[in-house]
Amino acid sequence: MSSAAPVIEVRDLVVEYGRGRKVHRAVDGIGFEVRPGECVGFIGANGAGKSTTMKTMMGFLFPVSGTARLFGRDARDKESRRRIGYLPEVALYYPFMKARELLELYGGLSGLSKAELRRRIPPLLEKVGLGGKGEVLLKNFSKGMQQRVGIAQAIIAEPELLVFDELSSGLDPVGRHDLRNVLLELKNAGRTIFFSSHELTEVESLCDRVIMIHRGRIVTEATVEELMKPLNAYEIVFHLPDAAELPACVKQCGPKAEGRLHTVTIPDVTAYSRAISELASAGAKIQSTASKTRSLEDYFIDLVRSTEREAVS
Amino acid sequence: MNAIRLIAKGVLIEGVRRREIYAVVLVSVLLIGAVLTVDFFDIEGIEKFYREVALLVMSFATAATAVVLAARQLPREFENRTIYPMMARPVSRLQFLLGKLSGVLLATLFCLAIFMAVYVAGTLWLGHRIPWALFGQYVFLQLLMMTIVATMSFWLSMVLNLDAAISIAAVLYLSASVLSSLVTYIFPDLTTVGRYLLTAFVYLVPQLQIFDLSAKATHGTDWPPLSLATMAMLTAYAAVYSSGFVGLSLLAFRRRSL
Repeated sequence: MSSAAPVIEVRDLVVEYGRGRKVHRAVDGIGFEVRPGECVGFIGANGAGKSTTMKTMMGFLFPVSGTARLFGRDARDKESRRRIGYLPEVALYYPFMKARELLELYGGLSGLSKAELRRRIPPLLEKVGLGGKGEVLLKNFSKGMQQRVGIAQAIIAEPELLVFDELSSGLDPVGRHDLRNVLLELKNAGRTIFFSSHELTEVESLCDRVIMIHRGRIVTEATVEELMKPLNAYEIVFHLPDAAELPACVKQCGPKAEGRLHTVTIPDVTAYSRAISELASAGAKIQSTASKTRSLEDYFIDLVRSTEREAVS
Repeated sequence: MNAIRLIAKGVLIEGVRRREIYAVVLVSVLLIGAVLTVDFFDIEGIEKFYREVALLVMSFATAATAVVLAARQLPREFENRTIYPMMARPVSRLQFLLGKLSGVLLATLFCLAIFMAVYVAGTLWLGHRIPWALFGQYVFLQLLMMTIVATMSFWLSMVLNLDAAISIAAVLYLSASVLSSLVTYIFPDLTTVGRYLLTAFVYLVPQLQIFDLSAKATHGTDWPPLSLATMAMLTAYAAVYSSGFVGLSLLAFRRRSL
């Protein structure tokens, strides 16, 4: 992680909806930072508090307590918004505007000149898969196309920070693929990206770091590598001759035996290949091998369920 | 200023491309056209009847356009979530409000311009003279009235739901002349407290009927145009109420969660 000043700085943030007895605490004292150039995934179940946190970060909601700062400034400060591109959760853009006009509106509001907009819009539409659709009224756009034009408006001013709420919502597999390429390009260009998504494979493949939120509280914050390491598992099923002895590296992993049939689960890919080679040297007959690696999604589901169980008990 | 201009342009594009304005214009033109056919029966004074009906229909139709356009701006922005990418940019809440209002006023002006073109064409087609000075004043005062109606509807849409905002704004517009007559009629019979309350009501609710020059425009040949001082006072009155409604809108919007 870079030691540069954080681009996003959230401290003890509490956000509530409603009044009096009907008050609902959507975000309950969360805090985190995002450094320049990082790509951070913000994940959680529906109603976990992701959108509320993002909206507060953007200055759309007022927190009960705590702070949300962007580029060191208060989120409601107009100046901090000069360097941000924001994609809201499933917007329906102005139906009687053309895609080009919409981008001219948002680009213009970001301070781009007419000449600059004329130069940027056609390749941008091409990039998000809407090439040749600049003169089409937005009412004729499908949900996926609306999301694509939404992505285009978020990146038109080439902002330093991109905040995407429900990134791939409404996109088909081709759209998601195109979007992943756009994000990778932005990531490689050094942009800071903070996004929420229900597509955890997308988070797994794009992010440097993941923040998981549940019932308004952060339940996990780690790099993707740290998160994935304990989730890796490789299984070997083998027959061991009577006279043969288990290799040490297999013994360490606590193999289970049913007669002469042994099963061992190894957490690391290097140890796994070493175990196979040593088992072969020991004269073991390998019956099957399989990757039992769990995905980020499995991890997330387990985490949510265990938190739910704790809450009930 | 650029942000206000861009937002206003967006509202104008949406307003002009929607079919609603044209539907309102078409229905109004059909109504006015029906009045024009009466001329074939050589009824005396039909020209004034045409003018009166045409101006009344046009004023109602323009006000309806202004009320609906203004009242639904903000609720639509929330409903479609378009307010977020807009406010995620270096745009202040005041700029956003002024941009939206300017756009509504431009779209209303567009609607009024179509009506006035129809009115002028109809009058000339009947072979009648248009009292241009008075007609110009009529159009200007209509614009002032629509500015108040639009800003009021905009504010109402912030503190009430969309339906309630449209209903109340429409009632206030339609009952403007009735309320005024009623106030004049009942004032002498009220107690001191009642008089204070009625006076407060008169000052709180904009008196839209003072901008209605349709009677003079109808009988334009018999009336001179309004004096500059009167026009200036009417403009100031409209400016005070419109600014008031914009101020109230900003107060409501400034601390509002989006």
